[in-house]
Amino acid sequence: MVHITVKLNVSLRKYRSSLKINEEMPILIPSDTTLAELLEHILQIPAEEVAIHMVNGIKSDMERILVEGDKVAFWPPVAGG
Amino acid sequence: MSKRSESYGYMGVILRINLTSGAITREPLDMTLAEKVIGGRGLASYLLCHEIDPAIAPLSPDNPLIFATGPLTGSGAPATSRYVVVCKAPLTGTIACSNSGGFFGPELKFAGYDVLIIEGESPDPVYIWIDDDKVEIRPAGSLWGQFPVATEVEIKQATHPSAKVASIGPGGEKLSLLAGIVNDNYRLAARSGVGALMGKKKLKAIAVHGSESVTLHDPEQFWKATMDMHKKITNDPISFGSFRAYGTASLVNLINEMGAFPTRNFQSDTFDGAADTSGEALVQSVLKRNRACFACPISCTRVSEVTAGPFKGRGEGPEYESVWALGALCGVSDLAAVTKANFLCSEYGIDTISTGATIACAMELFESGVLSEQEIGFPLKFGDAAAMVRAVIMTGDREGFGDILADGSYRLAQRYGHPECFMGSKRLEMSAYSPRVFQGMALQYATSNRGACHVRGNTVAAELYGIPRYMPPEVMEQKEEMVRRPFQNSTAFVDSTGICLFTKFAITHREICALLAPATGIDFSFDRSIEQGDRIWNIERMFNLKAGFTRADDILPERVCEPSPDGPRAGSRALLQKNLDTYYQLRGWDEMGRPTAIKLKELGLEDWWGVCGS
Repeated sequence: MVHITVKLNVSLRKYRSSLKINEEMPILIPSDTTLAELLEHILQIPAEEVAIHMVNGIKSDMERILVEGDKVAFWPPVAGG
Repeated sequence: MSKRSESYGYMGVILRINLTSGAITREPLDMTLAEKVIGGRGLASYLLCHEIDPAIAPLSPDNPLIFATGPLTGSGAPATSRYVVVCKAPLTGTIACSNSGGFFGPELKFAGYDVLIIEGESPDPVYIWIDDDKVEIRPAGSLWGQFPVATEVEIKQATHPSAKVASIGPGGEKLSLLAGIVNDNYRLAARSGVGALMGKKKLKAIAVHGSESVTLHDPEQFWKATMDMHKKITNDPISFGSFRAYGTASLVNLINEMGAFPTRNFQSDTFDGAADTSGEALVQSVLKRNRACFACPISCTRVSEVTAGPFKGRGEGPEYESVWALGALCGVSDLAAVTKANFLCSEYGIDTISTGATIACAMELFESGVLSEQEIGFPLKFGDAAAMVRAVIMTGDREGFGDILADGSYRLAQRYGHPECFMGSKRLEMSAYSPRVFQGMALQYATSNRGACHVRGNTVAAELYGIPRYMPPEVMEQKEEMVRRPFQNSTAFVDSTGICLFTKFAITHREICALLAPATGIDFSFDRSIEQGDRIWNIERMFNLKAGFTRADDILPERVCEPSPDGPRAGSRALLQKNLDTYYQLRGWDEMGRPTAIKLKELGLEDWWGVCGS
C-alpha cells in the first residue's frame, strides 16, 4: 500500500462535499495503482468529468503508476484569460 | 450620410470628432480596406498608423483616440459585444489596443458607426452625445471627478435612459498611466493607459444611442451559423460550465498547483493563499449573480458584493487576472480586500493588472529598504491587505505617494534606481502565468505588440488545456510557430471581428470565418483570415518600430530568466533567447526583428518600405 493525497477541484468537489476548497485528502491505495484506476475505481469519479490531472504539479498520463507521497489533483474543464 | 448598400456587417461610416475645433465629420468606410484589415483592432491600427507619426508624445493632442467595432459587433451572433480603443499608448509608447465587451460597442453600430475617431483636446471637460445622426459635444463640468456609475446615471438622465456610456474615472482625469476606459459601469478597456489620453483630451464620457441594426449579406446562412455556434457554446463544459459557475478565477488553484502562479512581484511561483482567493472561494463568499454582455450565452461576468467589514462594497468581478494581481502578486490572501480593491479599480477606472503589479513592485522596494515608511506614508508590506487597498485608493486619487504609483511599475522601478524590479516587457506589466513555466507565454510576453500581455496570444490554452492541441509548457520545440500562427495571428483576427475571445474555447477560428462570410459577403476563408491576422500583427509591429522600439525591447525581466526558487517546478526559467531568432525567421523579419521587404510586399504593406526595413 502507498500513501498519497488527492485534491478535487472546482465542480469535482461534489464527489467529496465535506472537503474544503483545495483541501488535500490523504488516501491509502494499493501498490501499482494507476491514475486512471484511482479516479474511476477508488474515487469513483467518471473520467469524462475530468479534463486536467496532475501529479506533483505536473500534468500526467492516466497510466502513470502512483508512488508513495504523490500529490494528485484533478480538475474539470476550466479555462480563463 | 446614408449607409452604403454594399457594406453588409459594417455600418459603412467613420465618425470623426475634433475636440479642439469642435468639428464633427463623417467619412465613408473604405471597404477595400475593411477586406484587408477587417475591423476593430486591425482597422483601427491601420487608421492610427496613417493618422499620426508613431514618434509623437502619447499625450499629445495629435494622438487620436480611436474606438472601433468589428463587422460582427452587434450582429446578434453569440458574444458579439466587443469594441477596441486604439491609440499610441500613454503607459508604454507602443501601439495600444484595449478591448471591452458590454453593450457600448454594439450601440455604436446601432447609431450607424463602425469607427469613432476623437482628435484634438478640449480646453474644458466635455462629453460626447451620439444619438444616431445627431452628434453633440456637451459640457461635462458636473461630471468631472465622478465615478463611472454616477457618471452613467447622470448622463442617462440628461440624454436617453437607454444610452450606453463609456467614461473615465478619476484615474483618467488625473492622467494616471494605469487608467482605462469604463463602459456599462464596470467593464474596462483597461490596459496601456488609454484612459489617460481620454483624460488629457478632457473627454469625460461618450454616450451613444442608436436605432439601426446591422444589415447582413446572407441572413439565412448567418442565422444557421449563429445557431450552430450557440449550440456549441451551450454544450461546452468550459464556456457554459466553469465560466458560468466559477468564472475565470477557477484557474487560481490550477495555475498555483503547477507552480506557475507568480507571487510577491514574481519572487516565487506558488502562493500559500491561493485557495482563499480562488474562484470557488469567490462563489462561496462574494458572488451574487452572473451578468451577460450583448448577445452572450456564456454570462461569465460576476456581480459581487462584500456585505460587511472594512472592505464592504459592491460591483463586478474579480476575474482571474485581478484576483492574482491584487492578491498573490501582493501576497494578499484576504478575498474581501482583493474584491474591494477590484471594485475601487473600476471606480477610479484603472487597470487591475498594472495597479496590482505596481503596488507589488512598491512592496518589494519597501521590504528591501529602498522605499521608506515616511516616503509612502505607511508600511507597505507583502501580505498586508489593508495597506494594499489603501495604496489602490492613493493611486486612483494620485494622492501622496499614489502620485508615483499612478504612473506604473516601470517608472516606479526606474525612479528608485531598481529597474530590475519591473516585471514586464515594453513597460507593460506581465499577467498571471509565469513565463518561467510556460515557455510559449514567455515568447508571447516578449513579442506582444502592446507589451507583456496574455491576451495577444494566450498560449496557456495549448500549454495546459490542450486547445487546439496539447504542447507541454516546458517544451521549447515548435513554440515559435505556435505563438505566431494559432495564437498571435489568430487572436489579431478574432479581435478585429468584434466577437469575444472567450468563444474560442468552444468554437474554432474556422467557425468564426463561417459566420463572417454570410455577415459581410466578403470571402473570409480560413487561410485568408490567418493572412489578415498576420497583416494586422505586422502593422502593429511597424508602428512600434517607427515609435523607436527594437529587438532590444523583445525581452523579459532578468528575474524570470533565472531559475524559479520553489514549488513543483523549482529550477525552471524563461528560455526566451533560444527561440527569438527562429520566431523572427518564421515571421519573415530580419535578425533585428524588422519585417523584410518581401514580407511587407506579401502582406500588401509595401508602402511602409524604406522607413524601417533592412
